[in-house]
Amino acid sequence: MKAKISFWIAVWTLLATVAPAQVINEYQVKAAFIYNFAKFVEWPPQAFKNPADPITICVLGQNPFDRLLEEAVSGKTVQGRTFIVRQLSGEPPATGCQILFVSSSEQKRLHAILGGIKTIGVLTVGETETFASEGGVINFTIEAGRVGLQVNVEAAEHAKLRISSKLLSLAQIVKR
Amino acid sequence: MSTSRFAALAVVVTLLSAPTPAQNSTPADLTQLSLEDLLNTQVTSVSKKEQTLSRAGAAVFVITQEDIRRSGATNIPDVLRMVPGLNVAQMSTSTWAISIRGFNDVFADKVLVLIDGRSVYNPITSGVSWDQQDLVLEDIERIEVIRGPGGTVWGANAVNGVINIITKSAKSTKGGTVSAGGGSETNAAGFAQYGGDIDAKGSYRVFGKSFDIDSSPLPGGGSAQDGWKLVHGGFRSDWDLSPRDTMTIQGDLQEGREGQNMTAVIPSALPLELTFTDRFDTSSGNILARWNHTLANGSETSLQIYDDHSSTFSLGSRDRQNTVDLDFQDHMALGSRQDIVWGFGARVADLYLGPGYAISYVPASRTDLLLSTFFQDELKISSALSLTFGSKFERNAYTGFEFEPSAQLVWNPTARQSLWLSAARAIRQPDPVDASIRDEAATFPTGPGSFGLVAVIGNPRQSVERLNDFEAGYRVQATARLSVDAAAFLNYYHDLRTVEELQPYFVTSPGLPYLVLPAVFEDTGKARGYGGELFVNWNPTNRWRISSGYSRIDLKIFKDAANVDSEIGDTGGGTPQQQFQVRSALNLPRHFEWDSSLEYVGRLTAGIPAYTRVDTRLGWRTSEHLDFSVVGQNLLSARHAEFPNDVGLNYTLVARSVFAKITWKF
Repeated sequence: MKAKISFWIAVWTLLATVAPAQVINEYQVKAAFIYNFAKFVEWPPQAFKNPADPITICVLGQNPFDRLLEEAVSGKTVQGRTFIVRQLSGEPPATGCQILFVSSSEQKRLHAILGGIKTIGVLTVGETETFASEGGVINFTIEAGRVGLQVNVEAAEHAKLRISSKLLSLAQIVKR
Repeated sequence: MSTSRFAALAVVVTLLSAPTPAQNSTPADLTQLSLEDLLNTQVTSVSKKEQTLSRAGAAVFVITQEDIRRSGATNIPDVLRMVPGLNVAQMSTSTWAISIRGFNDVFADKVLVLIDGRSVYNPITSGVSWDQQDLVLEDIERIEVIRGPGGTVWGANAVNGVINIITKSAKSTKGGTVSAGGGSETNAAGFAQYGGDIDAKGSYRVFGKSFDIDSSPLPGGGSAQDGWKLVHGGFRSDWDLSPRDTMTIQGDLQEGREGQNMTAVIPSALPLELTFTDRFDTSSGNILARWNHTLANGSETSLQIYDDHSSTFSLGSRDRQNTVDLDFQDHMALGSRQDIVWGFGARVADLYLGPGYAISYVPASRTDLLLSTFFQDELKISSALSLTFGSKFERNAYTGFEFEPSAQLVWNPTARQSLWLSAARAIRQPDPVDASIRDEAATFPTGPGSFGLVAVIGNPRQSVERLNDFEAGYRVQATARLSVDAAAFLNYYHDLRTVEELQPYFVTSPGLPYLVLPAVFEDTGKARGYGGELFVNWNPTNRWRISSGYSRIDLKIFKDAANVDSEIGDTGGGTPQQQFQVRSALNLPRHFEWDSSLEYVGRLTAGIPAYTRVDTRLGWRTSEHLDFSVVGQNLLSARHAEFPNDVGLNYTLVARSVFAKITWKF
């Protein structure tokens, strides 16, 4: 009997310890990552028309962020640039987008999207399993309840983006 | 493990869980966190599943790779146990009865199963031979389970449900994996895989796996000698032919050796029914190619062709089937309100059914052709309301022309809620067993020194079994932590297979005279089923997920008044009225995972008491490269029964077991 009680106490201690009350939505973290990408990625000069142009974050497909992306970047600047968030409708003439987030709703036409956009100066960010291996630059994964990063270095070079070694060291490098 | 030692372990784990900044104090603005902290933040990610499901007008359940990994399962049947409303019953080491919404038995024939678009529904016996559907569980991307008819898109035999298994693209399985495991029931299990690139355009993976599982105990004591050995090899390659064209080529070869404890009539030893261990050999292989073309406007075309071959040897009989299938599908938007999918297909099945101890087929070989076409239109009535309707049209080798229409209405009052209604018609097409079997099924004493023999005869004029189905469902993502999915159904079945007795007659030579009781298949059965399923997913914290499911079915089978002797082949006695389960997935500190499940399955009127299973898994990811896991199954009792004897196969008990596995990735 005593052993049984100590068993339950142990179980409850265990559950209490691992139960921090706050729930963090996956997209809160992804929005914070996207803001951080602006700090750790260097765009080629031709990506912006003017030195003071804002960094435009475009969302393609069903927007999973609600307002989280706007909230994450509003009022912030990176190297003197502010942010704009734009929802793209339908086809991506991704002109004027420095960061293009491709929602998982576009999974089926990923191949056509990544093949179709003009890639120079566009940091493509996705969240589907094959995004990086299909030629996207940065992909979010979810593993053991945490958001992980995959980077396709070749795709980054192709887009003339320079990704800091700090970011690269924390990401899984995906080829092709 | 003793409870005090368990307590000690829990205390140690508690001490190890030193809080990290991200978990303890969550700043409202996550952008101020370092990249490392962001990577360490636990998140809830149930919403993606809900997003994709929110527009579906059917009871769809999706099993993700994460769900599979954390279930601790080593085979597909055990993975499927997590789906509410689906009944999985293990009958021997290598045999399962699996069905959705009733009619469960070893040859449960009302659920269609596809692996990467290839039908694995057995064209000889109907139903699925689960022992021949081995998969590398690590390579599965997801399993979509649809409860209810899917005939409009998938065609015949998608009566009570569709199980759609989708494996990962070779693009996302590059690198090597080696794993080895063993345990109390599994003598050894091993797996090796390697994937990489071909030129600049393609990716590939090749794998080999093998296992050796011990015999299970018979209910009366002793071993059933039903050990199971299997060797499975395969590959998948994915190619980017152009920015708009992709191609997949994949294939498998599989060989198994099983034992099965049988009771059967041996015609040369009449009137004896013998109980013996039958050696059951299986070998199967398939190759599939699929080409996908995406147009600039997003519409998509695919063409798929496959060849599937299998051969089994059991009860003195060799059966072979070879199926070649061609399938074309086109998906396009018509204006801004309509989304149309249409397609056509052709399938040729070459079947050879060799004579065995007590079963033979007339004719022994046949070639069945199936031609089909379908369309389905999703019409957006308003931004919140959509109507999907369509039908399949088929021509099969047994009954000729058939059609399977359906309509679904989906209403999304808010982005997080959906309410749906559907009506559908579905069919099960007859098979060689229905049409052409000759089975000396059983003997019985008729007096001192005399006996009778039941001989079952197929009916070439057997009709299709029909279902008219009405369903309603509701899904809500109530909060970021809680989602609920509920469905209710009302099913009317017609023309179900029955067994009707014909006039008995005496056989006087050679040997002892005996009475033959001939019985023939007919199609006069009717049934009504109603019930529902409820699934609740709750994330009390970022590290803990609890999901629970409940299902209930009331199935009533009506005998045909005109034929007093009629008896439904499927009596409904193999389906539990109620099932309930709770699953917990907990992320512990230091990359430990602790997962448990409790599953209650109600009594079978066919004679199996209700049982409760408890499974648990402890996983440890030591690094990116190395994974350990220990799984305990059926922890509550030393052994229990899940399904009664069926068609000559004697059931065995499912024993408590432990299984440990190590996986190395490079």
